[in-house]
Amino acid sequence: MQPRRPELKYAAPREQRSAWPLLVIVLLAVSLLGADSWWRPSNSDEGYPSRPLQSESEPVLSPPPPIDEEYFPCSDCHEDELADPERRELDEHDYIKLAHGDLWCLDCHQSDQRDLLHLSDASPVRMEESWRLCTRCHAKRIPDWRAGVHGKRTGYWRGPKQYRTCVVCHDPHSPLFKPLEPMPPPIPAGDLRASSREEEEVPHAEQ
Amino acid sequence: MPNSERKARSTSRRQFLKAAGAGVGTLAGVPGAAQAFDLAEFFQAHFRELSREELEGVIQRLERKYSEKFGKAVTVDAVGPNDGVLFGYGLDLSRCIGCRRCVYACVEENNQSREPQIHWIRVLEFDRQDVIRGIDFEDGNPFYDHEEVPAEGKVYLPVACQQCENPECVKACPTTATWMEPDGIVVIDYNWCIGCRYCMAACPYGARHFNWTEPEIPADELNPNTHYLGNLPREHGVVEKCSFCIQRTRHGRYPACVEACPVGARKFGNLLDPDSEIRYLMDHKRTFVLKAELDAKPKFFYFYG
Repeated sequence: MQPRRPELKYAAPREQRSAWPLLVIVLLAVSLLGADSWWRPSNSDEGYPSRPLQSESEPVLSPPPPIDEEYFPCSDCHEDELADPERRELDEHDYIKLAHGDLWCLDCHQSDQRDLLHLSDASPVRMEESWRLCTRCHAKRIPDWRAGVHGKRTGYWRGPKQYRTCVVCHDPHSPLFKPLEPMPPPIPAGDLRASSREEEEVPHAEQ
Repeated sequence: MPNSERKARSTSRRQFLKAAGAGVGTLAGVPGAAQAFDLAEFFQAHFRELSREELEGVIQRLERKYSEKFGKAVTVDAVGPNDGVLFGYGLDLSRCIGCRRCVYACVEENNQSREPQIHWIRVLEFDRQDVIRGIDFEDGNPFYDHEEVPAEGKVYLPVACQQCENPECVKACPTTATWMEPDGIVVIDYNWCIGCRYCMAACPYGARHFNWTEPEIPADELNPNTHYLGNLPREHGVVEKCSFCIQRTRHGRYPACVEACPVGARKFGNLLDPDSEIRYLMDHKRTFVLKAELDAKPKFFYFYG
């Protein structure tokens, strides 16, 4: 037989608790009204996000990592002349290891305005909006990302949270996640008191 | 036994014990004993039977005790569950790289003993070939030590408390020191835990851990924002486990492991909210629970993203 749950005396006061569903409904309504349009690529020059994403229900985008000032803006070195479209060994940018499908620089970078990226229809994309370009191939990821299931979220499961755009986690030149050094393994149960064992000079038990 | 009768009997028993205890205390009369043996702590009622006033007293006593012990302001929270919330957890096995960032974020957030070491999260490493045939915990190795992860041909499965809807540990506890809250978190009243470890034997996931000695936490590493049912510093002789970061999640925040995961494999949310992350992944992804055949009904869902 299941024991009956006693009333929780330590819970927040009634009036405070009953306000939550209302708040949730309001937040949901706000998010439903606005959610359909805010993430969509806008072809306007105003860029993304088109309006501030600061309200309770909307995620806040973490800024993309800063681009190395030595190499950006690209126009510091590259004039507005048309780039050489040939696939070749580069003298500069040897730190870039291209491992992203079969792509070559100018598949993403503009060949005339060098500080910009471009879509397959040649329309320009600012560096800060690089996700618009990513999703042209990886559109399948959009629903998962919007739902918070692809990619990392921090902050509040109920409340303001931070999202990351593609390039925060994925290096666009080699997007596969890089291996990491793991944190130390746990101490086997036989050695739980590792330090005292060393003092007593007891040989470590094999786990 | 009728409820009123039982209550009357337990009350009289408690009064007797109280009187007896007070007598012993007076007889002993050793100044040092008052510190080592706290009568108020010994006779503290079960957490769910505390009145608001009693609870406030308990919280003040604990805040004083741990603030003195660790030399900094420790707060003890006892906020209750929110209506309409049932917590669920998702972990993307196709993403996890076994880096153990979650393990140590959890240790820091939840004041686990550094010496002897207690880890609430255990990351198991499997040969990819073995997992294809099904997960057998005997094959899992938590002690892997590579220079870089993920290692070739290996997959990783982090395991902590699965927050079961049908928790075996709760049934095994002889003192009702552990129970499931209305928001689905299985919690422990460390004051009522007698350290019998029946719950540890009952748990199919090895999620519970015992303080064999006085836990050691450097004062500067102590997380002073505690919840009575979660990361409150523990004593020698009690069992502890993951509480879904109750001190964070009841205030709307993500658990520490979710925020620590560098690959975004960990997902958390309200199972009763159809728009939540956890409901989305249950609707759209292939999910499974560990040892489903035991019918413990975990609320910890593994999935392939």
